[in-house]
Amino acid sequence: MKCKFGKFLLKLLGVGLVLNVGLFCVFFFDLDGKLLFHVVEPFLKNHYDNMERKDTLKAPYEIDKFPKYSYDS
Amino acid sequence: MAKNIRKALKDFWYGKPHTAAEGGRRLGDLHEDKTNLYKHREWRGVRDTMYYFYMIWLYNYIFMVKDVMVMGGLINFAKGVWRYRWVGQTYLPVLHWFDRGLEGMRGEAMKASAWHYRAMVSTTIRQFQRMFAADTRLHGGKQNDLYKHTIAHNETVWGGVFYPWDGEITNVPLEMIPYFVTCHVNSHTVLNYIDAVQSIGLPGDPCPMCQAESGIFVLDDVPDYAPAVITCNEACDASVSTSTLQDWFFDKPLFSLPMPMQFDDPLVKKYCAREIEELWKFVEEQYGIPFSWEKLVHKLELQNELQRFEWEKWEVAGKTDYYPVNGVAQALYRIYQTQYGDWEIWHVTDRKVRKILEKCVRKKINSFPQTRHRVIAWSCAPLYYSNWCTWAYNCWGLNNIINMDSLMFDMEIRTDSYEHTLEDMAQYHLWAPMRRMAVGGMKHMFELWEYMEKFNCDMVAMYDQLQCKGVQGLHGLFEDEFRDRNIKAFWIPHALPDSRTVSRAEIRRLINDYMTTVMHEEPLDPSLLDFDDSMTW
Repeated sequence: MKCKFGKFLLKLLGVGLVLNVGLFCVFFFDLDGKLLFHVVEPFLKNHYDNMERKDTLKAPYEIDKFPKYSYDS
Repeated sequence: MAKNIRKALKDFWYGKPHTAAEGGRRLGDLHEDKTNLYKHREWRGVRDTMYYFYMIWLYNYIFMVKDVMVMGGLINFAKGVWRYRWVGQTYLPVLHWFDRGLEGMRGEAMKASAWHYRAMVSTTIRQFQRMFAADTRLHGGKQNDLYKHTIAHNETVWGGVFYPWDGEITNVPLEMIPYFVTCHVNSHTVLNYIDAVQSIGLPGDPCPMCQAESGIFVLDDVPDYAPAVITCNEACDASVSTSTLQDWFFDKPLFSLPMPMQFDDPLVKKYCAREIEELWKFVEEQYGIPFSWEKLVHKLELQNELQRFEWEKWEVAGKTDYYPVNGVAQALYRIYQTQYGDWEIWHVTDRKVRKILEKCVRKKINSFPQTRHRVIAWSCAPLYYSNWCTWAYNCWGLNNIINMDSLMFDMEIRTDSYEHTLEDMAQYHLWAPMRRMAVGGMKHMFELWEYMEKFNCDMVAMYDQLQCKGVQGLHGLFEDEFRDRNIKAFWIPHALPDSRTVSRAEIRRLINDYMTTVMHEEPLDPSLLDFDDSMTW
């Protein structure tokens, strides 16, 4: 029982260590920045550039649509 | 050999020293050409690197995910990212915004400044998540309960005017997140909106802030998240046009809260107080929820608490060398907090920063030991290069102690009677961003001299917003005053959000020229003198 728990703890420590080292490498070598700059941003830009958008200029400017607002005298 | 090993070990443990004379850290060498991405992030010594890794980089990534999940959920976030350019293109590289502002910082300055950034990120997430959760466009046209309890307003309308409905109506500024914050985090995004408004035939010479704010509507990139809207002229005629376009494209019941151009006149203050009361009436009518004096007082007292701590910070910044907040963190946090209004995260942050501040004073920790000049920055800053002061400290030892935007709302609001409260709220509204000390008349613009003395500054960084007609006329007046008063000052020309007019490299070149030809000084870190970051966020 003790042995199993010890092995589990060791495994947990090992996974934690690998995770920490891996994340530290991402941090230190700015892999997050490089991924975002070279992959994610161009992909999203391409998506936004090709999105269908409403032509807002075709919307009528209905200035009388809402009731006139007046101050209390 | 042994000496080299000792130095390498010392550099590993403590980080390399700042100055070239001490065999310095050469921060400019860490970056890739053009993109300014890191070849590798800075090694700040074991303790500070680990702090940056765990408590800034990892902590903020984790808490950004947590904030997104708690405030509106991952699905709304994903839908929002897919639909709106300003969030998808801008907010993913947010940790690089931290890097730019905190570069070279060590110890308490790094920690205190990072907490300010964390608060801004959380408040930003809160706002765009509320927009997405309430947005009819992301929910098949349905006006859900959140939509019915959200109000949209111009970003220069102080969030405090909505305190009477705290907990019932959430106010979310129209432009603060889609425009203002984006410029700081990723300066590329806003260019789409500036170009959009010019593409429909509007002239390119008015303030690019107003252009961008309108351009978001022209590109149909505004969530439909509220049944009514409050606009404001932002004390600027270009903004009046923005309001007209917003009225057209947003197509909602609209109340216009004016910011009078004359504002030291008591009659104008009375007029403004009445406008605020009319706004309250408008909100009551539109939402059917009554005004609550108790809620207003409660929130104003919380806001006053934030103001009192800010005064304590200023006291330390002005009278000692132990102030642990860098120029960009001070400036952005303060303008965000005072304009958005009271919110829990500001109090949490202030408690953390207070501990650091008190530690610095108690132990006499000078967080900026290479300070050669104490700088006050005046007028409106370039949004795409708000971190210029981090560069200026690292390269030249120019320590930006305080800036104009931090000083605008230098007041508490009385809560002892309705009349006093309303009078002070009108005053607060009148002292709006880009207004009191930027286009607010000679008396206020020249408050610079008083604050320079108060903060014990010996140099002025004078911003020159090239497309602000209000400020343009003042250039010569300031030049004359600087000469008459024998004040050391350098100019930073810029076009607020538009990084194409005056590039970051040009701003650095102007400061370099001033420091070498006028001040005859040598850079602390020569690797930062000249580098190409033309493609950076």
